[in-house]
Amino acid sequence: MNRPKIITFICIIGYLSVVFTFPQVFSPQIKKLGVFIPAIYGILVAANFIACVGLWYFKQWGVQLYVISVFAKLLFYILANQQGFGFYFNLVTSFIFIIILLRFYPKMNQNL
Amino acid sequence: MLWVLFKESLFFAWQSLVANKLRSFLSLLGITIGIFAIILVFTIVDGLESNIRGSIQSLGNNVVYIQKWPWDFGPDYPWWKYINRPVPKYYELDELQKRCKSTEAIAYRMGKRRTIKYKSNSIQNAVVAGISHDFYKIKNFDLTSGRYFTQNETDAGYHLALIGASIAEGLFPNEDPVGKEIKISGHKAVVIGVIKKEGESLLGISFDYQVITPFNFARYFLDPKSENADPIIYAKAKPNISNAEMMGELTGIMRAIRKLKPMGEPNFALNETSLISKGFDGLFDIIGTAGWIIGGFSILVGGFGIANIMFVSVRERTNLIGIQKSLGAKNFFILVQFLGESVMLSTIGGFFGLLLTYILTALGKDIIDMDIGLTSTNIILGFTISILIGIISGFIPAYSASQLDPVEAIRSN
Repeated sequence: MNRPKIITFICIIGYLSVVFTFPQVFSPQIKKLGVFIPAIYGILVAANFIACVGLWYFKQWGVQLYVISVFAKLLFYILANQQGFGFYFNLVTSFIFIIILLRFYPKMNQNL
Repeated sequence: MLWVLFKESLFFAWQSLVANKLRSFLSLLGITIGIFAIILVFTIVDGLESNIRGSIQSLGNNVVYIQKWPWDFGPDYPWWKYINRPVPKYYELDELQKRCKSTEAIAYRMGKRRTIKYKSNSIQNAVVAGISHDFYKIKNFDLTSGRYFTQNETDAGYHLALIGASIAEGLFPNEDPVGKEIKISGHKAVVIGVIKKEGESLLGISFDYQVITPFNFARYFLDPKSENADPIIYAKAKPNISNAEMMGELTGIMRAIRKLKPMGEPNFALNETSLISKGFDGLFDIIGTAGWIIGGFSILVGGFGIANIMFVSVRERTNLIGIQKSLGAKNFFILVQFLGESVMLSTIGGFFGLLLTYILTALGKDIIDMDIGLTSTNIILGFTISILIGIISGFIPAYSASQLDPVEAIRSN
């Protein structure tokens, strides 16, 4: 099955968000939070990117990884006490995207 | 099984890197420069920050400076309100010492640049300070040789001096300075001790280039009434007394000494070291952010370089991928093989970037005599960025390789 346009849209938004969030991994603000915090945050950003690649190929693992990475990222923001506008924007858009992705989930490819 | 697959695919990745040495070198160069730029800026900023924070710390967190000018870093500094204020006087120190109950020690210091001579050797622009006896209770410094002044020596203004390590090296290259007679602006003084080397201070408050003398001796060549001598009264709080409490008491006593009206503006400033820290916080944020932007772009370019090379690599080895898959290689094996290659490339690039930073900071440390070094935090950060950039830039080529149809892949040229 071909990838629906809405998933393409989610993927593009995802790729763009990775472009903007990746530099935050080594930003002075994140660095100040602790020695391993940039590494943890970087893993979350990379997971988000890989999930978008999975969604681009219309794979079920893409949705699974996307859901995990979104929750892990939100948990990270809460634990790091970084709950500004970005946090709530992320929360709302991610949940909308997850609902859309779950609608297409049964039609997606199960293989790696 | 998974581990064996993983190991084997990494072995393939390594073989591919070694087979294309020039291409591997050129693609890792981007990451090397990016990591070098970011980590170098972070290392320099960390070094400067620790130097300045250390210097501020040496001023003492529980020490208040009574001065003419307040420490303020704002854009609207009302200098015209302060310019006519009197400088702190030595007799005010006596009054404060008598009346103040919240202080552990109070000391006076004035200083100005003067020429110091010993036989044919001379040092120009050394900071010569005239101090009251309790100065050692406020400022922490150790002596490598000799001793501090006695109470009698400071009160009577004996012609004695303590010299900093750099002054000692300059005036006495091959002999022990203790007991020798130096000349400060033509006035003879006997060296009774040498202060331990502190290294460069960005705030310019290192004892290395200072000569410390009793106040009553320093009056011969320094004018305590002049603002150029920068007279300061230091007050150090007792262990369980906060700075705010001590400042309250000092304000009351100073107002009484200077006979100020109850509602009148104070004509002195009480400064705390926390004011300097606040002033530098903004500066470090700006430098850090500038380094982050510069390094970020370099990393981005490096990442695109690796992604490009990986796409070329996949295209070049499509035939081989087809053969591997037809012989039973799993998608996972192909994915890890190419992903491993890109991660290896960027990690090696990151390693060289860190190595360059280490070499440059080691060389710079000797030149600028400042403690700048690669910290474990920055090493971890450097490797984290390298690995991440390898994963992100290599994942799409690696995944597209893993999804190739074996039959079509074998047929491709």
